[in-house]
Amino acid sequence: MKRLFGVFVNGLIVENALFVIMIGLCSAMAVTTTVANGIAMGVALTFVLVMSELIISLFRNLIPESIRMPIFLIVIAAFTTIMDLEMRAYFPALSKSMGVFIPLVVVNCIVMGRVEAFSSKQPVGDAVADGLGMGIGYTWVLVALAVVRELLGNGTLLGFQIMPSSFEPMIFFILPPGGFLVFALWMAASNDLRRRLLAGRKPAPTQDSCCTLPDNSSAEKA
Amino acid sequence: MKRWQMMKLGLILAVYTIVGCVGLAVVYNSTSKTIAQRQEADLQAGLHEVFPKATGFTPTDKVKPTNPKVIFDAAYMANGPSGSLGIALKVQGASYGGLTTLIVGVSTDGTITGVKVLENKDTPGLGANAANPTYYVDKATKTTFPGQFTGKKLTDGFVVKKDVIAITSATITSRAITNLVQVAGKAVSDALGMGGSSQGSNAILPSADTVRTSSKPVTSSVPGVSILETSVGTRAGVIVGASAKAKAKSYDGDVTVLVGVSTDGTILGVQIVECTDSLGSSILAPAFAQQFVGKKVDTALEIGRGISAVSGATRSSTGATQLVKATAEALVKALAGGGL
Repeated sequence: MKRLFGVFVNGLIVENALFVIMIGLCSAMAVTTTVANGIAMGVALTFVLVMSELIISLFRNLIPESIRMPIFLIVIAAFTTIMDLEMRAYFPALSKSMGVFIPLVVVNCIVMGRVEAFSSKQPVGDAVADGLGMGIGYTWVLVALAVVRELLGNGTLLGFQIMPSSFEPMIFFILPPGGFLVFALWMAASNDLRRRLLAGRKPAPTQDSCCTLPDNSSAEKA
Repeated sequence: MKRWQMMKLGLILAVYTIVGCVGLAVVYNSTSKTIAQRQEADLQAGLHEVFPKATGFTPTDKVKPTNPKVIFDAAYMANGPSGSLGIALKVQGASYGGLTTLIVGVSTDGTITGVKVLENKDTPGLGANAANPTYYVDKATKTTFPGQFTGKKLTDGFVVKKDVIAITSATITSRAITNLVQVAGKAVSDALGMGGSSQGSNAILPSADTVRTSSKPVTSSVPGVSILETSVGTRAGVIVGASAKAKAKSYDGDVTVLVGVSTDGTILGVQIVECTDSLGSSILAPAFAQQFVGKKVDTALEIGRGISAVSGATRSSTGATQLVKATAEALVKALAGGGL
């Protein structure tokens, strides 16, 4: 149990997909203009990630090494399409405002990366915990980005007017440059926290090889 | 052995694919009805929004497409308690981030009854504000971007930043939607038999009391300009001027103009009849054509020298100006030659 929890927590800060592994940035930048979109994208990706990791971990011994990529893609694409259809049926407004980014979850590096690096080698429990951790790690970053961008760029939060009417929205934050700036500031803060978290202890030996960075190196690399 | 191995891999892949497809088929079957209902409800809500007083809508095929770049999805006759109120048209056209879909309602008296943005894929927070019900281009009156078209006459200019308020930082979206509304509006008004803003040859030749078809065709020496029809205006039996309808290639479509000149070489009237350039329909605004009136044919008729382009449609303005000049010159030559 403790081990599963460790796998789960790992995705939140220490191995955060966006801030530390730095994959899946494109959609993160594009949808975080409003908090509602950020939450929806986060939930959508978490769903696809957990389900794909679950299925692939379950069948990991029945997937031949040489055709694993197409099989991963089939599984991921199936869950993405399922989620797309469900969203269109039950959350049409969200589905509309997210546009092309929902179908593009198929090629989101986070899903492909975690499936390849983690769940194709790990037992089911670990895979689900990893999917949840990575998904929630992704979601909190999207929400953090979107809160700043929507508040400063539009004066609202979740569509409600927060700023006084005298506040002139800073459109810069809605546009990509503002997104990069907010992203960088959050990343600095998150990586500072990560460094302090890791300072006390030796980094736990993680099971996957591709995505682990040596301690402290990510901030300098960035 | 190797072939057998390949077959085995293929079969495994096929099994995964089949299972995946079956799963998708199940989900599709359970959601497709809801999705179709949602879209239908969206459409009905949109139709009622542009014709709040209508009691029902019946599909109609009266509206004919006029511009290859604007797709007319469907047209609905809005039925009121006492006859037809007008036509609501669902149109699709390119905007900044891809196709955008609108419902445009036009009443039988030639005004826009409402515009509803059904789908827009432009930048969230900027162009996407076209579909945002709480984004006001006029905060004082709480007018949304599509809301400002309600009650607008089709004879108006439809020029963004003049008689249409743009969405902040989304001029391309604003222009694209304005253009769609105008094209749709004109097509509907043609279908309703109102002829929209088009004036007859009489308006082009105001000094004439009779306008007749010319007895010999006029041709232009400028390559690419085809003069479709020529008319002669007379006053008490004396020729006072001539007019012609001409067509030429413009930026990425065609432009058609009506030009009237007097016997002394003055342009009496110009009307831009049609422009199928993308975003080019803003030059249909009467203010653009009005610039030519009173100018001598032999003076500079160029964008930047006497004629100013419609902003956002410089190439179309240039094309139209060259066509007007060529047509007017041909007419002057024909008038001087006599025998019209």
